[in-house]
Amino acid sequence: MEFHDDFPQYEFRDQHGEAEGKIQRKRLWRVFWYMLGITIFELALGSYAASKGFNKTALICIFISLTIVKAYFIVYSFMHLGHEVKSMKWIIIGPYTTFILYLVFMATVTEGNYSAIHKVSPPDKSYAKPTEAETKKAEAEENEEPAPSTTTKSAEGAKHE
Amino acid sequence: MSDHASTDYPANWGGGVSPLKVSYGKLFMWFFLISDALTFSAFLSAYGFMRHKFAGYWPEPSKVFHHFPFVTKELPLAYVGLMTFILIMSSVTMVLAVEAGHRKDKKSVMIWMLLTIVGGFAFVGSQAWEWFHFITGTEQGAWKDVIIDGKLVHKIVHGANLTFNEYGNSLFGAFFFFITGFHGFHVFSGVLINITIFIMVARGVMEKRGHYEMVEKVGLYWHFVDLVWVFVFTFFYLL
Repeated sequence: MEFHDDFPQYEFRDQHGEAEGKIQRKRLWRVFWYMLGITIFELALGSYAASKGFNKTALICIFISLTIVKAYFIVYSFMHLGHEVKSMKWIIIGPYTTFILYLVFMATVTEGNYSAIHKVSPPDKSYAKPTEAETKKAEAEENEEPAPSTTTKSAEGAKHE
Repeated sequence: MSDHASTDYPANWGGGVSPLKVSYGKLFMWFFLISDALTFSAFLSAYGFMRHKFAGYWPEPSKVFHHFPFVTKELPLAYVGLMTFILIMSSVTMVLAVEAGHRKDKKSVMIWMLLTIVGGFAFVGSQAWEWFHFITGTEQGAWKDVIIDGKLVHKIVHGANLTFNEYGNSLFGAFFFFITGFHGFHVFSGVLINITIFIMVARGVMEKRGHYEMVEKVGLYWHFVDLVWVFVFTFFYLL
């Protein structure tokens, strides 16, 4: 069965000779070095920040912005979206970015209430084997914790009625 | 190749022209990649919610993933850095294969695609080792409440699986296995597709067609896999 390709003229448009190929390869290797540099920096920052106490919000901002930079390089350069026409670029970037922005809005504004959550979950000490005294103390604390939340729940229930 | 406006030329009503100047296959590969990207975004945001809900109990990745094969010293995040490097490298070899396809250089396409396949297998193997190590756990273990034979027991457990997690909240294990497993499945299927296209190139199917667009489409999928890994790596191991 013969295979008939659709719109092969666009693929022929992308074909180039050796000279142009050399220039493109040089650009691709340059992007590779950028990616490698950013990744090494992220890893170093990640393991360094884990030992010292860094401001969590600053860390999150740095890592996410570096990840978006890497994503830009991959989509624009490796996936050749930079070579496409403007409308094609917008078709890919527009809806996805809109959705991601909305997702972040959901995560941080409507669903993310950090202060209340930090109060509820105490640090987890079970990584290392605890001593007998520590185990008993942890069990006592766990029995205490549900008490405040149940009282607020019943108070709210009384208010509704 | 029509550079003037597509709507002016009467022959365009008969078809055969794309206003976006891109073929069906490539356009729909992009659409599929967007849908897959949305799926992964949903998974990662669910991970983000849970991680912040249990902020006190969540294990610190640099303390959990500090092992390197054949090395006894603790190297935090070194192995995952190696995995990221392998995947980025395979992405570079893939795009070089695409570039060689644009020059209709069959031999180069085959070499670069072969390297991409090797990189893909290396990544899947590394991920398997990481899973094995995560499941096996440390020698000292940790005290956890687990349900054995229907009874709640307080005992030392090693490693992580879907019922208990030595390192912290058991949700960490569930999310880790699910998301990295989903991604690993994408990598594996990408490797299989790459092998198929490699065989097609070797048999001269692309030469007969006159263009290597199939390599480009498959390259898009492979770069998407790399892109997702960049995000998974950031969310799981760094944040």
